[in-house]
This record gives sequence, C-alpha cells and structure tokens, in this order.
Amino acid sequence: MIDQATQAATDSHLIALRRGDEAAFEQLFADYADKIYRLAIGLLGNDEEADHVVQDSFLRLIEKLDTFEGRSSLGTWLYRVAYNLSIDFIRARRPILPLVEEMEDDDSLVAPVILADWTGVPDRVIDDVELTESLDAAIAGLPEIYRAIFILREIDQLSVEETAAIAGISPGAVKVRHHRARLFLRERLAEMWFSQV
Amino acid sequence: MSMTCEQLLGYLSDYIDHELDEELAADAHEHMATCQNCRVVLDTTQQTIFLFREQGRRVIPAGRRERLFSRLHDAFQRRNLISG
Repeated sequence: MIDQATQAATDSHLIALRRGDEAAFEQLFADYADKIYRLAIGLLGNDEEADHVVQDSFLRLIEKLDTFEGRSSLGTWLYRVAYNLSIDFIRARRPILPLVEEMEDDDSLVAPVILADWTGVPDRVIDDVELTESLDAAIAGLPEIYRAIFILREIDQLSVEETAAIAGISPGAVKVRHHRARLFLRERLAEMWFSQV
Repeated sequence: MSMTCEQLLGYLSDYIDHELDEELAADAHEHMATCQNCRVVLDTTQQTIFLFREQGRRVIPAGRRERLFSRLHDAFQRRNLISG
C-alpha cells in the first residue's frame, strides 16, 4: 500500500519511463543507485557483487516497465529486488543460512556487557579511516537479517512500513530487529574502544 | 512503579525514537537519573546511531558509478527502440 501522493508520483514517473524519457531514467538512477548500492555493499561486503546487484535491479526494472503494476513505489520495488538479489548472492556462498524463524524465536536481547562510556573516543583518538573500518567491521558481524534492517531503517531512514515491505516481514519484526541491531552494534563498538576510554 | 534495567533495555529504542507513551517515558527517565549503567548504555547507543548515520552513507565510487549508468542507459535506450 502506498499513499496517494506517492502513487501519483509513481504513476507519472512510470508514464515518463514507459515513453522513453531519458531525463526520467537519469532521475531514477540518481535517486536510487546509491541507496540500493548501500544496501548491497552492506549485506555483501564485496564491490563486484554490489555493482551486479545495482545493475541487475535496474535491468529488471527496465524489462518490467510495461508490466509494472505500481502497487509499490518504484523505489520500494528497486530496494526489494536489490535485497532479494543480495540474499541470493549470500545463499550461493553459504547455502545453509540460519532459518529466520529460529533466530526470531530467540527473544533475548544483547545484554550490555561493557559499561564504559566510550562516547568521546571516536573524536579524540580515531581518524576517519579507522572509524570507517571499525564501523564496517562492526556491521559485518551482524546477522544478515538484522544488517539489512539496520541499513534501511538507520542509515537510509526508511519508515518501518517501507522497510517491512522491502524485507517481506511484519512491521513488528522490523522494530524488533532494528532494536537488536542497535544493541549488538553498541556492544561491538564498546569492545573495540573501551580500552581507550 | 519504577522500571528495572532489563525493562529499560527493552524500551531503549522506543525511548531514543520518542515513541514511548508519556508514562513509560517518565519511568525510563526516572530510572536513568539514578542508574549510571543504563545512562551509559543510552549514551553509547545514541553515539552508535549517530556514527552510523554520519559515516554510513557511502556512495558508489565515481568511476564505477559512471560505468554502471552508461550500461543501464544503453539498456534503457535499447528497450525504447524495441517498444518504440
């Protein structure tokens, strides 16, 4: 379900794309290429695979332009395709992914273990390169099902409902995974930095 | 009724996102006024969120972005020729 304003924007953008309007295509790429790249590189950690995901997501949209029904916005549709393509890459590497249901059954939260206040450490002792590496390492340790939700909700700041539509889960599950991801990442950064407090 | 550390942990994201109802928010606030550990967990979680929001917005490196756009633009033009 999308709201009326988004529906109208989707419809007019779709009409322009269907008639071959190059400016509309450039706008679509400008609006979404980096966003779906961010999701793919966050999930895959591999430049080549992430580029493939971006390319194949747009190619699929180009192929489907004439049959696209517009029940979701073009952006949500692109994100969803990119998410599924990224999961396909992960499954190809590692055919046995933990079942989502098994992970969801575990309702325990990541209890904080390290209680040092490291909030001043990044500014004081860490340069930008090291900071980026630390954040990448922390996020790489998150289970994929939490990682995607964290990227969509925290970094791209999508709504709970849009994130749910992209990942194919309930809004409640989005909220739970987002919360767990935050606590998990807080703990990983605390492990890295508590000794420098 | 005062909130426990475990309850606070469960509500932490809702507290940060200002999604708790007034009564629960007041309980959480009251708990953190006296619980140093929970205060640190709140501050470091907020700092975690801030760092990822600031640093996490990476984009496709320019050269690769241009190549991707060029390939996709070609595919879009081919589609236009076929359906045109």
